[in-house]
Amino acid sequence: MKIEISKDWCLRMAQREGDAEIGAGRLAVDPVFDGERIPTDVADEESPNVAFGRFVNLMRRQRGMSLEQLADDADVDMADLVEAESDPYHRPELRTAYQLANYFEVPQAGLMQVAGLAALKDARLFDEGVRFAARSESTAELTPEEGAALEAFVAVLSEQK
Amino acid sequence: MTVEVTEVHLLDVASGEPVAAELWHVITEEQLADWEGEWVPELFRAMQRLRRAGVERAHWPQSRHWDWRRKVAALQGMLANPGFSILCDGVTQGMMIVDTVKHRGRVDGQQGQHLVYVEFVENAPWNRAELFDPPRYRGVGSILIRAAVALSADLEFHGRIGLHSLPQANGFYANTCGMTDLGADPDHEGLRYFEMTPEDAQAFIAKGRSK
Repeated sequence: MKIEISKDWCLRMAQREGDAEIGAGRLAVDPVFDGERIPTDVADEESPNVAFGRFVNLMRRQRGMSLEQLADDADVDMADLVEAESDPYHRPELRTAYQLANYFEVPQAGLMQVAGLAALKDARLFDEGVRFAARSESTAELTPEEGAALEAFVAVLSEQK
Repeated sequence: MTVEVTEVHLLDVASGEPVAAELWHVITEEQLADWEGEWVPELFRAMQRLRRAGVERAHWPQSRHWDWRRKVAALQGMLANPGFSILCDGVTQGMMIVDTVKHRGRVDGQQGQHLVYVEFVENAPWNRAELFDPPRYRGVGSILIRAAVALSADLEFHGRIGLHSLPQANGFYANTCGMTDLGADPDHEGLRYFEMTPEDAQAFIAKGRSK
């Protein structure tokens, strides 16, 4: 298909367009963050999942942030965040896990697995998640041990592609 | 892969001068790499600025969660869903995916007629005045819509196109593009549906020719 668009046309329309927003497309159609269902063979809603909530809790406290601050800063739903930290049976929204992965700068694929939102590709991640949950305690202050546990777990997460 | 390219120009906002750009008739891995490496980090930083400035979330860009890699994987593999992108300064400045099969005209007198439906269109974060002051380039939206019109004409749909506008872009489609506003569509998240008739398409192209 041949399209010819003159320089004059481009510039006149650029002037007319000005600073207008141009976004179009259905909001909910985004297949990743706004509607994709977890495959039933992946979702295991019966088993508790401590690692994800503990991970979020420690990463948040390491930054000295409240739940509200993290929800605002990472642009996630606060209710989902609160449940993720406090309820080991809660499965966070895909979008929440994605945003938190971006915010904490850890690979999305790894955090999705830890959150129980994607099939575990690496059994070691499950073992490390359990070990991490066991080694870290949810106390007010982040102890050096918790910090070390967190760093070790981030290192394992970062190996996931 | 041979990429079909059309020479276009954008307006450099800082200098007020035109700059040469390319309209690619496809979205390639290069654009997706730009989205991941350039767009997403800029968008994330822009969100932080909006939050710190106390801008209500309702006024943040509605497309901030879009994942172009998934969109392209889901749609562009289909012959019915070609993509377009604009490159300038070696970086992707805008992207669009359309559908040429599933949608039909809704405007009186056009009902049931084939049209090119714009599935998604988005500007690079640095070209968006709501995120960057001043934005870098203007004209991305007009060129992408012009490409959709050209594709429609090429498919003998006579320039008919349709789309569901994000709320912040309603003015662009109603005023700059001169599309017919058919109002909020309850089947599409309440987004307003806009359609360009063959006459609207001619008027849109003529707009850029008249001073």
